Amino acid sequence: MIIKHLKGWALAAILAVSAPVLAQDAPSADEGKKLYEANNCGSCHALDKKVVGPALRGVTDRRSEEWLIQWIRNNEKFRKSGDADANALYEEYGGAAMNIFENLSPLQVQHILEYIKTAPAPVQEKAQTTGVTAEEDNSNSIYILLILVAVFAVVLLVLSKVKNTLLRVAAEQDPETYAEQMNKLPLWKRLLPKKLANMNTTVLSLFITLIIGLPMAGYGYKFSISEVGVQKGYAPEQPIAFSHKLHAGDLQLNCRYCHSTVEESKSASIPALNTCMNCHKGVQLTEKYNGNVSPEIQKIYDALDYDPEAKPGEEFGDNPKPIRWVRIHNLPDHAYFNHSQHVKVGKLECQTCHGPIERMEKVQQWNTLQMGWCIDCHRNAGIDAANNNYYAALHAKAASDLENNGNNSQYFGPDGKVRITPAMNGGLECAKCHY
Amino acid sequence: MSNNMKYWKGEEELNRDARFLAAQKNEFNESLPLDEVLSEDGFELNSNRRDFLKYFGFSVTAVTLAACYKTNVRHAVPYLVKPEEVTPGVANYYRSTCGACSVGCGIEVKVREGRPIKVDGSADSPISGGGLCAAGQASILSLYDTERLANPLHLGAEAKDWSELDNGIKAKLASISQSGKGIAVVSGTVHGPTTLKAISDFTAAYPTAKHVMYDAVSYSGMLDANAADFGTRAIPRYDFSKANVIVSFAADFLGTWVSPVEFSKAYGKKRRPDAEGGMNQHFQFESALSMTGTNADHRFPMKMSQERLYLSSLYNYLAQKAGATQMPVVKQGELAGNALKSAAEALWNAKGASIVVSGSNDKVSQQLVNAINVLLGNYGSTLHMDQHSKQHQGSDSELAAVLKGLNDKSIAAVIFYGANPVYNRGQEWQAAIAKAELSVSFAASKDETATVCQYVCPDSHYLESWSDAEPQAGVYHLGQPTITRVFNTRQAQLSLLTWSGAAPQIDADPFAKKGILSQKFEADPYYIYLANNWKSQGLNEAAWTKALEMGVVSGTASAASMAYSGNAVALASEVASVKADNGIELNFYAPVGVRDGAHGNNPWLHEMPDPVSKVSWDNYVALPKSLASELGIKERDTVNIKAGELMYQNVPALIQPGQANGTLAMALGYGRTAAGKVGGSVEKGFETIGFNAFNLGGGTSTVVGNVEITKGDAQYHLAQTQTHHSIEGRDIVRETTLDAFKKNPKAGNDKAATHVYTIWEKRDYRKDGSPNHLWGMAIDLNACTGCGSCVVSCSIENNVPVVGRDEIRLRREMHWIRIDRYYSFVSEESTMTREADIATADAANKGEYSHWENVQVIHQPMMCQHCAQAPCETVCPVLATTHSSEGLNQMTYNRCIGTKYCGNNCPYKVRRFNWFRYNDNDAFDFHFNNPLGKMVINPDVTVRTRGVMEKCSFCVQRIQEGKLKAKRAGKSPNEVQVETACQRACPSNAIVFGDLHNPESEISKLYRNERGFRVLDEINVQSSVTYMTKVRNTTKA
Repeated sequence: MIIKHLKGWALAAILAVSAPVLAQDAPSADEGKKLYEANNCGSCHALDKKVVGPALRGVTDRRSEEWLIQWIRNNEKFRKSGDADANALYEEYGGAAMNIFENLSPLQVQHILEYIKTAPAPVQEKAQTTGVTAEEDNSNSIYILLILVAVFAVVLLVLSKVKNTLLRVAAEQDPETYAEQMNKLPLWKRLLPKKLANMNTTVLSLFITLIIGLPMAGYGYKFSISEVGVQKGYAPEQPIAFSHKLHAGDLQLNCRYCHSTVEESKSASIPALNTCMNCHKGVQLTEKYNGNVSPEIQKIYDALDYDPEAKPGEEFGDNPKPIRWVRIHNLPDHAYFNHSQHVKVGKLECQTCHGPIERMEKVQQWNTLQMGWCIDCHRNAGIDAANNNYYAALHAKAASDLENNGNNSQYFGPDGKVRITPAMNGGLECAKCHY
Repeated sequence: MSNNMKYWKGEEELNRDARFLAAQKNEFNESLPLDEVLSEDGFELNSNRRDFLKYFGFSVTAVTLAACYKTNVRHAVPYLVKPEEVTPGVANYYRSTCGACSVGCGIEVKVREGRPIKVDGSADSPISGGGLCAAGQASILSLYDTERLANPLHLGAEAKDWSELDNGIKAKLASISQSGKGIAVVSGTVHGPTTLKAISDFTAAYPTAKHVMYDAVSYSGMLDANAADFGTRAIPRYDFSKANVIVSFAADFLGTWVSPVEFSKAYGKKRRPDAEGGMNQHFQFESALSMTGTNADHRFPMKMSQERLYLSSLYNYLAQKAGATQMPVVKQGELAGNALKSAAEALWNAKGASIVVSGSNDKVSQQLVNAINVLLGNYGSTLHMDQHSKQHQGSDSELAAVLKGLNDKSIAAVIFYGANPVYNRGQEWQAAIAKAELSVSFAASKDETATVCQYVCPDSHYLESWSDAEPQAGVYHLGQPTITRVFNTRQAQLSLLTWSGAAPQIDADPFAKKGILSQKFEADPYYIYLANNWKSQGLNEAAWTKALEMGVVSGTASAASMAYSGNAVALASEVASVKADNGIELNFYAPVGVRDGAHGNNPWLHEMPDPVSKVSWDNYVALPKSLASELGIKERDTVNIKAGELMYQNVPALIQPGQANGTLAMALGYGRTAAGKVGGSVEKGFETIGFNAFNLGGGTSTVVGNVEITKGDAQYHLAQTQTHHSIEGRDIVRETTLDAFKKNPKAGNDKAATHVYTIWEKRDYRKDGSPNHLWGMAIDLNACTGCGSCVVSCSIENNVPVVGRDEIRLRREMHWIRIDRYYSFVSEESTMTREADIATADAANKGEYSHWENVQVIHQPMMCQHCAQAPCETVCPVLATTHSSEGLNQMTYNRCIGTKYCGNNCPYKVRRFNWFRYNDNDAFDFHFNNPLGKMVINPDVTVRTRGVMEKCSFCVQRIQEGKLKAKRAGKSPNEVQVETACQRACPSNAIVFGDLHNPESEISKLYRNERGFRVLDEINVQSSVTYMTKVRNTTKA
């Protein structure tokens, strides 16, 4: 079963690297990283963990480079040539054959090995406590304090009223003794500086209202524009506890493997379950769960009404149940956003907007997704105009402006070269996002 | 001459009617129904201060509480197994065949995530040629109509199980067939080869069964005439692209007649002064002002009852020239100004490249038309009998035989497929159907006929079905489903096959075990039947796949020659039998919107104003000025009208310029009593829209005589859009004649430049704007026929809500594009350009009003002009409307606070205000308020809420999509392909949109054209829409 799917990947991998790779002499880790991703090595391998295939870190110590090149490029041929180590390895992994990568030159394999050698070890991080929980705790205690203050204030008022009433009753009965006290200014006036205390009461109350009201209004305004409807840090429970940290971080799967439409559509799209099944038909983590399928993976099977034990051709039943993921990033209806514009044309990394997604056990909204946040980037990010024929006219205009106006030109970049931001190409105009 | 022309939009404007004058001062009818709301119990306007405080306190608290809600948790449900061809967020396009009427245009269906959201013409279809009519566009909404039956019905009760139903019907069919009684399958015109095969399988299984076709608006007269003259009962294929001279007797060939989209395309090609082989010349003879009539170069009012007479005169003029035998003149027919003679001259000069057509259902008239076309040698060049049309094949006499059979019980079972005779062939059908032992209807909703049938087996919508079509001999189209069936319906072909036992057996669904992975389409028995039928015609697997992809199967027409064997001279006695006095005549016509009424529950079509009268949501009696003044009828009056035995009371009346004296006109397709919540339903208590003109004799005849008409007691306010936006006597449309144009291409368009004042800094977007694009539009007033296809297309693309009759009466329609229609008077030799002239003429021939019969019309599509110096932008207090560097006037809904300043300041009056929240609002029950209807909403365009302005955006979502495609592929801006929705829909290619930065683009060429002018250029708003001066080919032969 796995082999069948591996074949599919191999095909995809060959297609993916059909672009010619520039030949370089020395093995380069950067080049290797690219090749590692382009060939989806991470689909079966992880650096520090046995997945479908063995963990890769230290492989260059375990095997000779020559051996590795032969194995990686065509393990089938290599095994047939009678190499004992190769056949032993094949047996060790239950006869699951590795894909054939003859499209890779020996040098390219060296690049990859160089990358494996030099790849940084993963940093163990504590699971992040999300900002929201912390804030919620804080605000709760503030509320309790405020309530207490209010209760005490009411008690104080009542007590002073009682005291005043008693005083008045006493004064009526015995005016002489209490006359002095009766003529005294009220306590709150005595507390104020003399000048204020002598002011007209109306003006004074207005003044006090302003002093209290202005900050409150200011806070209300700030709250309404920066908090209402803003869901930064929103990290809801999902129906399947899918971990991006595991898949994108530890296993280093390319984001595009699952979010495959990100370069052609406005939506990066949540992968359909057939994408999950490419791996999870085989990867069931039974070793961790006493021989049972992992409960989270089982949810995929339940959704598809899939029975891994059934006879081939009869695995799928007639009662599939789609999965209702909780949407995390919710743009309002009147804002249009297109992933392909930003990822394919703008060449942005996913992390630019989604934060360190490869470290998130549970995905949370990393940025505010407010308009100001969009605009900031549109004002400051650069357009790679030189390498896209679409921007040829724009680039020419910018270049000539730069030549004529030098560092007074709006296109003057920090390195002295042409710099074009989306804003300079109408990226701040309303109908670019609102229609 | 044209420079001084005076245009007017309606009788009210011309006569400076007081109500009109008052109304035109207010663009927005501002009076809010405050008193009404506040006069309800406890809400009196004179409430005191305490009440005010109470309400105030309550409101503040309520608002505060209402605001304390948790943000909704939203879900995302991805595919379980994503179909390979689907990319969420990216549309797929499928070729199919339009099922809105029997014309069978090839279409392209835009599908997002498995739901069709837009239908356009397919460029590879010789019938649609890439355009599509309004009814075809709107038909997508019928798919999402909640009035559709969710399950089959048996005796009015829902039956969920088809097999039980099938067994009952099969048993009855078998016993009826064995007893030798007849079974009738009554359908509209059907020309799909496989559908016909399914029907013939059925008639083979039940030998007493017979298939009968009829057209709601009948073509029987024409078909019978051709059967007599050519031996083939068919309508020829008309090639208007080769016709230099067109003479039409009341045939609305651009609007509804035979194959209007195909004809508009061809006509539009020849309608330009620079057309290959010269611009065509168009004569129209008719009673009612039809849409086609408004486009004619010469239009002559006539009484349709005298048609035979005029045709015989035309024949004789031509026979004289041809040296052929003339008909013996019994009665001489000629119109004012020797109109027929001049038409004959023009026709003779264009021998072999002309077309004469008649829209009448009179066999003799059609035979005369045939004889004239034969005299002119048009067969083989502009008319083709070998590649004849199959779009209309109905027979009135065969239908009458079925009715007779049902009544005398010789026919015991009747099955209706796309047929609704109870609505369009009279009430006697109701009683007749009740006599049948078995009655079945395939209607998708419980229509008039289905209501009286025992079984209703709902047919799937055409966008859910497999189908094929042969609109013309040798032209084959395929239709494929673009959505899984919404309801428990079954396509009619499969029902017939099931009952005849010919349905392909899918033995124990071979894919059943594969669960989620099963391929549902391939398991569709009708798909197997269809594919097998085509493959048996020699189509291999690859060719079949290719044909499905293109939607067209290339075929060859039988080249059987069809010789003319008619004899016009022999018709003399028939011509002589024409009665000279036929009293007041009532003409019937299929309106461009709802057509024959089959789309009666489609709000988009009701909302689309009639191309000529600009009335929406009603039919009415159109009457000429002379008759109106005689009866004392003014605007908002009604009439009582009696034709035959039937009398309708208080029918809205409309004084229609161009209506021939002594005639009336009334649209078919209204007065549905079982259409649904939009079109009216007696059973469910929804008000019927308009009056059913079929009952007055429409459908089978185009005209009835001796109609009695009196003024009605009631008043009725027709929802007209025509007088909403006054022209104020400005120079808005320009026109010239072909002769003048040939001398000077700037003729009619050579206004001296007016003074240009501006307080704003001059903006030049060519220089200072984006170097990538500058968008512009050009509209050819010559090519625009006024059909309204763009209006519906725009509404679908941009989620424009339907507001309904009452709101339109308050002048609150929401259409982003409207088609302005301007009348001007023509008398014999001159054009009356001033109101004073018209008033003098009125006084001079009181009672005649012949000048009222002779009007010229210009259609002008009007939408946001995207002015470079836009007056709306400068008055917006919140910068909700701004200009883009690509020359677009942007409207930002989320900024708009609804001051309406922009609408007030717009010289073109194209901005629309959302007075209500039209979606999710049961007061506007036009499909946007239920989850099913919402499926048609374009996900790339915001659904606007109450209180914001909106207007044409030049389809900015399509611009952005086109740009993004180019960016992703690294193509240059000149390679960006953008078509606006109106441009895409236009059947006559009148609208061109594009990038002015690209000097080679079509739009740049049109901007350099001498005919180009901008509306209200003198106020210096620098609009981005160029109109092409209308050129009339009034050249005398």
